[in-house]
Amino acid sequence: MRRNAKLMAGAAGLILAVGATQLLPGLGLNAADHLDPPGRTDPSVDSTPDRAADIADLYAWHTDDRINLVLTFSGPQATDQPATYDPDVLYQIYISNAGDRASTEIPIRVRFGTGSMTDEFGVQVSNVPGVSGAIEGPVETNLTQDGVMVRAGLFDDPFFFDLQGFMETASTGDLSFSADRDFFAGLNLTAVVISIPRQRIENGDNLIDVWADTSRFGGQL
Amino acid sequence: MIHTTRKTLRTLAMAPALAAIALLPACFDDDDDDMVVAPTPTPTMSPTPSPTPTQASFDVTPCLQQEIPGTGGFTVADAVVPDTLTLNLAAAAGFPNGRQPADPVVDATLAVIFLDLSVHSPFTLANLPLNPPSNDVSFRDDFPFLAPPQGSPPLASSGGSNFSFRDDPPGTYVRVDRMGMPAVATVLIGSDQKIAYNDARPQDDVTGQFVPELTEQLTGLTNALADDLTAAGLTPCATAS
Repeated sequence: MRRNAKLMAGAAGLILAVGATQLLPGLGLNAADHLDPPGRTDPSVDSTPDRAADIADLYAWHTDDRINLVLTFSGPQATDQPATYDPDVLYQIYISNAGDRASTEIPIRVRFGTGSMTDEFGVQVSNVPGVSGAIEGPVETNLTQDGVMVRAGLFDDPFFFDLQGFMETASTGDLSFSADRDFFAGLNLTAVVISIPRQRIENGDNLIDVWADTSRFGGQL
Repeated sequence: MIHTTRKTLRTLAMAPALAAIALLPACFDDDDDDMVVAPTPTPTMSPTPSPTPTQASFDVTPCLQQEIPGTGGFTVADAVVPDTLTLNLAAAAGFPNGRQPADPVVDATLAVIFLDLSVHSPFTLANLPLNPPSNDVSFRDDFPFLAPPQGSPPLASSGGSNFSFRDDPPGTYVRVDRMGMPAVATVLIGSDQKIAYNDARPQDDVTGQFVPELTEQLTGLTNALADDLTAAGLTPCATAS
């Protein structure tokens, strides 16, 4: 009893960070960043959750000649649901390459826009090194400009994790993971994928640091 | 041994530990074949015997200060503060040297925050595995890397032009969410710090603003789970206090 109480106190964030989802009522979702912070993005905690601005995951990796960036958001969701393209949300991926890991030299900005038809949405990626102007075009299409590739659209949620095991572990204090349970299997989300020639980012031997944020025009919901 | 040389130079030239995370060899990629497998017996993760009646209390300082093996001094604390993904382009890609979609980030993270890395490999839990080892559908080798959406969802048109984008400057938007390392903001930041954490920047992280919170949360988890780790034949990094 004491043990559990202490766990609850010590790891209160774990419990509260996980809100119920429509997908699995009663079971919360605590993952890479899905539904965090709960006070702004989790429908079980916030009556006006900002789904569009809810980051799910950030990926950044290098190959011999490219730096690839993936920002996923607005998920996970059932496979009969459409993507989320909100013109009032600004998605930024910040790159630090000057040697100070906390500074930002390259803030890449991603916005969505509406088209003339109700099923038409555009993506705009600006401030990418070596690209004159912004990369703009329809979602669900590979866009290429000045050597940079961009695609925004609906994808499989790439995260894999035993959320149920995590919840049980957090609530009981007993390790309860199972490698056979992937909460994120069979679910989708929206993402933007950006591939940049490596030399545009590389700066000698400096480490490259990457983080991302979302913000909403007009203030939080 | 180029790595060793570079590592030394970097460690000397650049401040602390941060330099080194990236020198992690290719062991964090998703291929099993080149993983440095820890020669520990495979622990069973089945529910441990009855709960320990006594409340343990642990000091997690050794966990935060331990070096991630093969990185030339990059510590767990360095990996989470500031809260960014860090890429060393001179070393092979693979979490925690950056993050690829297929990297088993949860098991790797749990291992480095809970286990004594002088005893266990960072891949100990991923090798079990503790959590699902891979995505339910295959990633694409080439751009755009992620798998197509599952099911038959309604998709937006892939055509159109003359889209209308908002052109207000970034300063007119209000922050909602931020992310760097997977699971740090969700697992190691408590509910009362969530908003402050998501409103902060890496410049705030490096002041140490959130270190007490990270430490407190890790301590709570360790107090609850250390008995299970020990029962499974694993050596926790935390010490009894």
